[in-house]
Amino acid sequence: MEDEEMEKKVQQYLQRKGFRLTELALQEERNRLTTSALSEVALARSDNDPTRYSDGYSRLKTWAYSSLDQYKKELLRIIYPVFIHCFMDLVAEGHMQEARSFFHTFREDHEEMHSRDLQKLEGVLSPSHLEEMELARSIRQNKFKIKLCEYSYELLLQYLQKTQALVMLGIINEHVTFEVSPGQPSLIFDDADVVALIGTSKDLAKQINQKEVHWGLLEDSVEERMEKALSESDKIEAESKEADAEDNKKRNSESGKQGGSLKKAKKDKLIGATGKNIRTETSMVSVAPRVKRELTLPVTPVEVEQSILEDLRNRAQLNSLALPSVSFYTFLNTHNGLNCSSILHDGSLVVGGFSDSSVKVWDMSKIGQPAKTSSSQGDNESSQGERISTSDEGKRPYTLFQGHSGPVYSVAFSPFGDFLLSSSSDSTIRLWSTNMNANLVCYKGHNYPVWDVQFSPVGHYFASASHDRTARIWSMDKIQPLRIMAGHLSDVDCVQWHVNCNYIATGSSDKTVRLWDVQTGECIRMFIGHRSMVLSLAMSPDGRYMASGDEDGTIMIWDLSTGRCVSPLLGHSSCVWTLDFSCEGALLASGSADCTVKLWDVSSSAKALKMEDTKGGSTNRPRLLKALPTKSTPVYSLRFSRRNLLFAAGAISLSSS
Amino acid sequence: MSIVPKETIEVIAQSVGIPSLGADASAALAPDVEYRLREIMQEAIKCMRHAKRTVLTVDDVESALTLRNVEPIYGFASGDPLRFKRAVGHKDLFYLDDREVDFKEIIEAPLPKAPLDTAVVAHWLAIEGVQPAIPENPPIDAIVPPTENKRTEHGKDEGPPVDVKLPVKHILSRELQMYFDKIAELTMSRSDTSLFKEALVSLSKDSGLHPLVPYFSYFIADEVTRSLGDLPVLFALMRVVQSLLRNPHIHIEPYLHQLMPSMITCIVAKRLGHRLSDNHWELRDFSANLVASVCRRFGHVYHNLQNRLTKTLVHAFLDPAKSLTQHYGAVQGLSALGPSAIRLLLLPNLVTYMQLLEPELQLEKQKNEMKRKEAWRVYGALLCAAGKCLYDRLKLFPGLLSPSTRPVLRSNKRVATNNPRNLQGAMDGFSTQLANPGMTQASSSSGQMVENITSVAIRRDQGSDHMQRVSAVLRQAWKEDQDAGHLLGSLYEVFGEAIFSFVQPPEISFFV
Repeated sequence: MEDEEMEKKVQQYLQRKGFRLTELALQEERNRLTTSALSEVALARSDNDPTRYSDGYSRLKTWAYSSLDQYKKELLRIIYPVFIHCFMDLVAEGHMQEARSFFHTFREDHEEMHSRDLQKLEGVLSPSHLEEMELARSIRQNKFKIKLCEYSYELLLQYLQKTQALVMLGIINEHVTFEVSPGQPSLIFDDADVVALIGTSKDLAKQINQKEVHWGLLEDSVEERMEKALSESDKIEAESKEADAEDNKKRNSESGKQGGSLKKAKKDKLIGATGKNIRTETSMVSVAPRVKRELTLPVTPVEVEQSILEDLRNRAQLNSLALPSVSFYTFLNTHNGLNCSSILHDGSLVVGGFSDSSVKVWDMSKIGQPAKTSSSQGDNESSQGERISTSDEGKRPYTLFQGHSGPVYSVAFSPFGDFLLSSSSDSTIRLWSTNMNANLVCYKGHNYPVWDVQFSPVGHYFASASHDRTARIWSMDKIQPLRIMAGHLSDVDCVQWHVNCNYIATGSSDKTVRLWDVQTGECIRMFIGHRSMVLSLAMSPDGRYMASGDEDGTIMIWDLSTGRCVSPLLGHSSCVWTLDFSCEGALLASGSADCTVKLWDVSSSAKALKMEDTKGGSTNRPRLLKALPTKSTPVYSLRFSRRNLLFAAGAISLSSS
Repeated sequence: MSIVPKETIEVIAQSVGIPSLGADASAALAPDVEYRLREIMQEAIKCMRHAKRTVLTVDDVESALTLRNVEPIYGFASGDPLRFKRAVGHKDLFYLDDREVDFKEIIEAPLPKAPLDTAVVAHWLAIEGVQPAIPENPPIDAIVPPTENKRTEHGKDEGPPVDVKLPVKHILSRELQMYFDKIAELTMSRSDTSLFKEALVSLSKDSGLHPLVPYFSYFIADEVTRSLGDLPVLFALMRVVQSLLRNPHIHIEPYLHQLMPSMITCIVAKRLGHRLSDNHWELRDFSANLVASVCRRFGHVYHNLQNRLTKTLVHAFLDPAKSLTQHYGAVQGLSALGPSAIRLLLLPNLVTYMQLLEPELQLEKQKNEMKRKEAWRVYGALLCAAGKCLYDRLKLFPGLLSPSTRPVLRSNKRVATNNPRNLQGAMDGFSTQLANPGMTQASSSSGQMVENITSVAIRRDQGSDHMQRVSAVLRQAWKEDQDAGHLLGSLYEVFGEAIFSFVQPPEISFFV
């Protein structure tokens, strides 16, 4: 009795003084005390009554739906974790029948947001499954974090208190932590936090994301040298132009109001302005800070460097007004067997990986001509059982690489096109030489199918991603992996190198994208926000941004340094198989199973973010510039050449119609 | 409890040789079976995604099974989609139709064709962001504007911008293709046969030709430009146009823009046909009437249709650098558009033009007989046009011939009758052709015509102030309330007595 009076007094005092938060905390504390005391009784009373879950849940739901509009959205977020845990509690207690009927009655509430999770959870039918299934386990072990505004939180507490919904209260206390923020209800924008439920706790992700990332470009790259040369010549030009302008001014003042020269001066200015514009576009890359190389990198041959310089000189400027030309390579008669394809940077070679374990390389420069030329290369059959047939009597327009013993899931060219990597479901990666048409090395290390393999931007090193939930770094001269990146909770589906070769990014079926330090093998960023399996990744050429595409057709652009999503790009209606940035990073091209190539303007968003405005860049969202539909051909791979020509490849699928 | 019932487990147990499975065991197994099934499906979906497909195949399930170290199930192939049949008497029981195959048949059957080998072809999906219209790219706009029902479909499709639905490809049936080829052949080579006449009747009556209209309009436009020298073909083409225009089942409006230039070409082209004997005048008249009918029919829908047409024609008419044949065409085209067009566009320019035409008409000034004949043609056309206009006016306002104008006319007439007949020779033979077939009223004798024309020539010399008065009257001709008497007077000034053949006898008597 006395206690209660005391409490009342304290409460009154707090109210008078306006210590709202303290008061709430006190109230909560008291709730917990009373409920824990009460719940024991309640549990004892209705221990074997499984209907309490569905009753409690449906009551909570109706309450949330009938709450004030402004707070409804926040309150509705609580329902999902409660739903899942009710179900799992029921399963854990062995009420299979009830669990199932509960699940079916209420699943439609969450179908829209969490359909994939629901599909997985639907299969949980016995307590042992809860242990076995990674999703269920991670849900059980971790807490949902929900952001609420002060008032919503108060509303919730009041409700739980008034209705004596002990079961619900228990679940919420046990599995949900609230992050109460003062002020207005937060926008639905950061909904992603609720959606992605991750294995490690949220705090860990936060902790990880605080590590430093040096996203700059490598020192002393060919591009940099080129830029330098360019900027110097520009400076000279600018100086001469300035001199010109001054001359003009003088002339103007001398000749008084002479329209002609005035016009000319204006014109000069205009030209100067546009020239400057172009230069800023090109030097977007050079703005990026430089970092030291951490790997020993191979030396680029002089001829290659020459050709790169040549390409850079001839590069077409792309922006929202100047769209690229797209050359499309269509695979015919694949009989549904093409799993992956890749294009060499200049489009001269195209490779396809097939489900019949074969890898086929087409030389596009020879395609128009009669196939005589290739037969001269002779048969270069290697003895170890791998068979490479180079166009039997010129009949075959491609080079066939055979050696894998399972569907080939990924193929990749080395930067200069000398080598080819393929990964297969036989858990091996094979290195092929395109010059000798022979298999050079077979890398065994993964235990399960290797979904993806990618050469580093400078060659020599490569990264692989596998069903065994690891990504590995290899170098061409060693048959063991150099690093093993473990941490994903499900398959690692795709991998991509950062432009400075110090990091790799991996996308996974656990709906996260992670960034790993190649040197240490540590995970240094975790990007949470996708709602389904991540299928494709691309790095912006300035090394600051990353794009990732998922199974639902959503593309997200991430800022590597903050680990936050710049903005989602919505537009595709099906899996995004491939992504690539244009050489200046102004455009992002995406290829999808919905048979379109889409071009997005990402330069505006990047600039907006550079200015670090607090609005979160929502005013300056990247926009869809162009959707290029193909003739029922899903787009498997995209590649911008150094001259900014876009190559795309896909297998025509007529059966879909 | 689970979607796999206990009974199924029992059946499976029996099939693998366990005759009696405990009820508890099957009840415990059922949920686990379901879980394993889901697990396999999850892996299979992963395999499907990595094979870059959106449809699950047997292969995917097989690789999922191997992933889980389970022996794959044999006997299923991903060749074609499995065809399930519904079991009789059960609503939700399906089975695969598994036919019994005779080995002998298979062995004796000829070898199937080897499947085509994989190939890669390249094309431009876009050039600087624009998709070229090549067969490798999906049609961006269907060539044929959709008919009514299709249009509504498209309207619906525009709803969600995400869902890009490819336009329906236009398919031409074999019969229609043959029909088109036949018509094209007839038009090009055998337009004088009776078969072609039948074809024209068919074109003007048959329903269901609508899909061919774009092809026809393209064909016509194409052929007109190509065979400007071949008069029969041009004539045949124009007849095809006429038939198409007549066909009540064809919705020709969208293709007018393609047809109009061809028709106008057939009116005002400099040369139509190679030979001198080619009667291109007839073609010009025909096309002029055709164009006029188009204007009458669609003028209210496309407001600028007639504007653009008249602009072209007037331009051809007023350009002295253009040949006489072109002038003729322009005059015919304008006069076919009706009296108001004549009043508005021809009459104001009549006097000036006559001054230009005059030297061409006279034997002594124009030695080239061909040129002179052409000039007389133009003169005839102008006369007909003016006459038509006058006739129309008089019919509208019968009592408008006011007596006040008579004295002037009288005096003029007197002058006219005094003219020498020095042009008689030039007129021999073809002045009878002058009369427009449509204008039966213009049946004047050649002698009278020549006389009048000569009188015009003479009067022209009488003084410029007089001519100015005449042209001023004509310039006012577009005014609705213009006195028809003035008009008649002025036209009389220009054409002489030939104009009287367009006036009804009672009025003429009154007038004279």
